[in-house]
Amino acid sequence: MTVCSEQFIGLGRAQQKALGFPGLAIAVVPHPFGTQAREALTEIARDCAAQIAQHLCDIGSDEPVAAASAVAAVPRALLVEAPLALGALNQFYIERRWGDGLPIVPPTVAAVDEMLQHTTLARDTVVATIAPGFGVATVEYIAINAVMAGCLPQYLPVLIAAARAVATTTFHLQAIQATTNPAAVWLVVNGPIAKTLGVNAGSNCLGQGVWANATLGRALRLMLQNIGRALPGEMDRSTQGQPGKYLFCCAENEAASPWEPLHVERGFAATESTVTVVGALGTWSMNMTASAAEDVLFMIAETMQYPASSDYVFGGHPFILLSPQHAKIFAAAGWSKAEFKQRLWAASKMPAGRSRGSEFERTVTARQAELGQIGPETLLPITVVPEDIGVIVAGGTGSHSVFVPVSAHTQAVTCAITA
Amino acid sequence: MTTQQVYDPVAPCLTATAAPHRFLEQLSGKVVGFLDNAKPNFNHLVDDLAEILVRDYQVARVVKRRKRSASQGAPEAMLQELADQCDAVITGSGD
Repeated sequence: MTVCSEQFIGLGRAQQKALGFPGLAIAVVPHPFGTQAREALTEIARDCAAQIAQHLCDIGSDEPVAAASAVAAVPRALLVEAPLALGALNQFYIERRWGDGLPIVPPTVAAVDEMLQHTTLARDTVVATIAPGFGVATVEYIAINAVMAGCLPQYLPVLIAAARAVATTTFHLQAIQATTNPAAVWLVVNGPIAKTLGVNAGSNCLGQGVWANATLGRALRLMLQNIGRALPGEMDRSTQGQPGKYLFCCAENEAASPWEPLHVERGFAATESTVTVVGALGTWSMNMTASAAEDVLFMIAETMQYPASSDYVFGGHPFILLSPQHAKIFAAAGWSKAEFKQRLWAASKMPAGRSRGSEFERTVTARQAELGQIGPETLLPITVVPEDIGVIVAGGTGSHSVFVPVSAHTQAVTCAITA
Repeated sequence: MTTQQVYDPVAPCLTATAAPHRFLEQLSGKVVGFLDNAKPNFNHLVDDLAEILVRDYQVARVVKRRKRSASQGAPEAMLQELADQCDAVITGSGD
């Protein structure tokens, strides 16, 4: 059974059902529990113990216990009768919580069929199951959500690859979807398909204005919500969220990079096309007009250090999005991408004592096996090893690079885009 | 009102439902495990619960194990150890 703070009972119930254990007992404690004074806990424990005794022994329980069931066959998506008028249609989607808050393109049979022409996979092929609701991401369901987001039909293979990527165990989608953190999924497109589809890698590549970036990012969010069932306030427990949860997509500016692109670094051929998913907590702009490599490196390293950082608490996999200008400064200094990471890793160590209270204690719990005894003066590296810092080059002209902290325990995952 | 047919975008979960869990006849004499999720205060709650369950409910023994962090699953060996030793295992969720 589970002890659950009262604000999270709904998530707990939904998770039990999604994982195949509906009806497991939950003992409830007040929320927020983590900030209760130590002396208050004993009274809470007394009540909690009574609940545990009742639930484990089923004293007076009238909760129905679900019977075991076999795995259901993969179904075709349901067609429903909806208003033709766009305003009424959107109202229809809003009432069912099928959208993201923006107007949708109607996923008609014709539109979905046209999208499905752009893959060799059968429409009922199961690409992945998407946490936390573990909905089945068939090609058909991916296409439906892609149409709703406004994707052009030829974008479909990118989203199929993205579904595989987010469902990879090391991406840790369960935590990204259900966390109170503002975790968004950032799509990074590499290889020839970026140019073919027109995914912006240059000026304003994380901003507005380009159809591919906007609709690919939006489609992934709709997939995470409609297939993964991460509805805000239900299984998506984000305290505030962030704009990147609507959409977050760019390509790497491979032509402007002095280094090997991300997908080549990760074992793919330069001629292959890939999508990489990153569990991003936000974007921190770093405006650095300095021209010496050591100076720019210092400023990036200083920016990365902040006490309320999941990366430092757990040892993360954050990303640096370098402008072409900054990447060229480092390359001109003779630094390879690997050397840049090594230097940044060494320069960005942060004293553990900059985080306080239970955050400091969580750091000790999480990293003592890696670092040994941890005290306030212990220097924490942001990642376990330098290679865990992700680096891409993107953007246009300007002295701005971006730090992207990531959600706890997520690792970026790259998948090939195939038809 | 003029209508059109559109797809419902919500995909079903096909996870099979596991066999119903068993209830204990009583807590007395049983071994209860706690899988501490490493969220703030849960370790203290586990300590207090262990004391109460042994003293007031005659639980024979409490086994406590702690995850590295809340959002990571417990290692397989830890789960197996708890499953081998305990009549019931309790974990935590939420903040």
